[in-house]
Amino acid sequence: MKRFCVEFDENFTGIKVSTGLRCSNETWIDKHKPHLLEELAVQKKKVDEVKTWFEQRQKAAMDGHSNVLLVAGPSGVGKTATIHAIASHLGVTIWEWTTPTPTVWAEHLHNSNSGLQYMSKLDEFEGFVERVRKYGLTSPTLMGSQASTILVVDDLPVVNRRDAYGRLERCLTLLVQLVRIPTAIVITNYDKNDSADYSTHCWEELLVSLHSAGACKVNFNPVTVYSIKRTLNTICRKEQRVVGADTIELIAKASGGDIRHAINSLQYLCLKERQDNISCLDDMLCLPFGKDETLSLFHALGKFLHNKRESEHTIASDGDTFLLKEKFVRFPLKMDSPEVVLRQAHGQATSLSEFLHENVLDFLSEEAIDDAWLVASYLSDADFLLSSLNGRLSRDVGAENIIQSAAASVAARGVLFGNAHPVPSRWHAIRRPKLWEVEKSSRRNKCQMFSQRSDLYNSIAISNQTVMAAEFRPSLKWLGCRASETFQADSMVEDDSVGASLHENDLDLSDEEIEDW
Amino acid sequence: MLWVDKYRPKTLDKVIVHQDVAQNLQKLVSEGDCPHLLFYGPSGSGKKTLIMALLRQIFGPSADKVKVENKVWKVDAGTRTIDVELTTLSSTHHVELNPSDAGFQDRYVVQEIIKEMAKNRPIDTKGKKGFKVLVLNEVDKLSREAQHSLRRTMEKYSASCRLVLCSNSSSKVTEAVRSRCLNVRINAPMEEEIVNVLEFIAKKEGLQSPQGFAARIAEKSNRNLRRAVLTFETCRVQQYPFTNNQAIPPMDWEQYVSEIASDIMKEQSPKRLFEVRGKLYELLTNCIPPEIILKRLLFELLKKLDSELKHEVSNWAAHYEHRMRLGQKAIFHLEAFVAKFMSIYKSFLISTFG
Repeated sequence: MKRFCVEFDENFTGIKVSTGLRCSNETWIDKHKPHLLEELAVQKKKVDEVKTWFEQRQKAAMDGHSNVLLVAGPSGVGKTATIHAIASHLGVTIWEWTTPTPTVWAEHLHNSNSGLQYMSKLDEFEGFVERVRKYGLTSPTLMGSQASTILVVDDLPVVNRRDAYGRLERCLTLLVQLVRIPTAIVITNYDKNDSADYSTHCWEELLVSLHSAGACKVNFNPVTVYSIKRTLNTICRKEQRVVGADTIELIAKASGGDIRHAINSLQYLCLKERQDNISCLDDMLCLPFGKDETLSLFHALGKFLHNKRESEHTIASDGDTFLLKEKFVRFPLKMDSPEVVLRQAHGQATSLSEFLHENVLDFLSEEAIDDAWLVASYLSDADFLLSSLNGRLSRDVGAENIIQSAAASVAARGVLFGNAHPVPSRWHAIRRPKLWEVEKSSRRNKCQMFSQRSDLYNSIAISNQTVMAAEFRPSLKWLGCRASETFQADSMVEDDSVGASLHENDLDLSDEEIEDW
Repeated sequence: MLWVDKYRPKTLDKVIVHQDVAQNLQKLVSEGDCPHLLFYGPSGSGKKTLIMALLRQIFGPSADKVKVENKVWKVDAGTRTIDVELTTLSSTHHVELNPSDAGFQDRYVVQEIIKEMAKNRPIDTKGKKGFKVLVLNEVDKLSREAQHSLRRTMEKYSASCRLVLCSNSSSKVTEAVRSRCLNVRINAPMEEEIVNVLEFIAKKEGLQSPQGFAARIAEKSNRNLRRAVLTFETCRVQQYPFTNNQAIPPMDWEQYVSEIASDIMKEQSPKRLFEVRGKLYELLTNCIPPEIILKRLLFELLKKLDSELKHEVSNWAAHYEHRMRLGQKAIFHLEAFVAKFMSIYKSFLISTFG
């Protein structure tokens, strides 16, 4: 939290800040930081949970149980704020581990020249945990009040590799098992669906393993829109600013449950003198604030495949609306336009079309073969668009992007439009494309075929794939399985005789040739 | 050794089909030299056989002593060097290879090999035949760039090497290359000619083949001599002595395609489409080229189809075949064709039978 604010401040003071803010040279996040439990926007239940836990640990050093609490949740939901508020409520001191700033390479060179040993941040963290485990908190200022101290680990070192992760896990597990003072470890799980990144898996694994080692766990959910609105209103009141209720609602919705983000947006918005044009912004896309929501590819696929639509036309057909034939008319979608969803999912067009292709047939109603064709034809179009990238020698990034998004859009809209009679929603697992396996094994088979041909038969040696796959292999299979032994024996004998006859032929020919010459 | 290899005519005067072409070729190379040649014609019509026989005619028996090797060519492509691995079949006088195996690096391959051949140009004792022959298969599958570079190298090194190109269709060979070669069209052999060949093999093998048996194989072979001979050998392994009503084993994939076709005719629904997709995947896994699958599938479907639908179905097949060649993922287009067929057929059924 603290570090974040420092950076934020720096950024802000760099810009010419309008008069409204200059008087209070502080960001609203710091200024309106919750100090009382009632001020927290976090769910009451969760706060109580954390509070009770701390109270219990304070009362009696519970030997049987671990003294570690894991606080997990997405960013900006008030994990740290909750702990701090509770600490001040209980009147305990917080002893916080902050990860040291990373060493940059130039600095490292400088240090190593001057004889300093490089220490990775993970090493430092390990050292810290070791000390805490063995001696408790050794800081002289805190020695006296050991009983009313809690340790907060807010910032775990970044681990990238498997072994580093293993070290971190080991050292945290030890901490969970042996630490004597109440400790809270704050873990931010980044949006799970954001990326199939290695690190996200890491954190989940870590949570599970620490939990099984005996640590208590509290999961924080994104802050509700209602709570954010309440908080924003309070802040507005305190700052004596008038912001329209709908604007606050918009901010709250756009923040995606991240209260820190919401407050920042509010402050940013209040920088503007003219507020009248804010309220008329109703399209989520052109908001000057708002967190870009991310969707997983699967989420997006689900939207396209389930094809949820309104049951009737919401827009009354005016005189100037374009009249479509009956068969082209579809009910309006119950979601954003496909392109918006695609952008949020930031999926590749290729994999999107492959996934759609694999799964779409499950979502068609049983009799709708016409729909199936329509969908298939659009997917074929998308594939055609995508492959037009390949032939180009001069690769143009801009053109490529356009083609990619056009293809994705054709695939998604084709699936939505084509599936005119979607089955009533029921649960389907989304499979990964079988095409990948097929491509892989087909490549393998091809390699195998090519490697075999050179040591098998003369004429196959150089013949092409078509001939081999479609003519030689089936026959060889017949020949091979029906009479492998006899045939081989036969062929051995025959080989010899052929060799002999060939030899004769050779002689004949060379005679003729000599005559020719 | 397969009969296809065993009874492959080794010299031009021993060929059974295309005797006229063989005679012309013989005359052509009687001086010990030849122009660049382009052989084109359908698969299994005897192009390769004629080429091998021609080489033998030029160079004598030593052209038969071939060795197969996997060769890695180090190709200098401007900023970096690329390793291209290719299987080559070579004797002292010629090199044969499939440049299209190298994928999109084919253009480097052709140039590089020809250069290398030009460098160590053989010198005959008589001072004659100072050239090597490069046999390139599947020229029609070469990219445009490769064909372009081929044209240039053909001119530059024409003193030291002759090219013999071999392709299924001359229409995909660029005009420039075609005009630099002597074009030799090899037709698919007539059924009677195939029967002749099969009977010749039967005689050599000492087999009794009942009247009309060879004709049946020839008919099934689709005028593809290689297939006819392979099928004949398969029949021999399956059942001998031959009987006239003996089943001629079809190629397994063709049988599979006809199963798919009857699946399609039986039911038209997304569910069935999904099953068909699985079967198509099976074929693709076994490296059967998608164009051939589509062609065969259309053939099987047309067999069972009402004649008034044939035109429309063929039209769509052509459409998706074109798409397939332009696109990357064959299954998308194959499936779109199947879906379209199902849709057409279903509405036809409904309109006729209600």
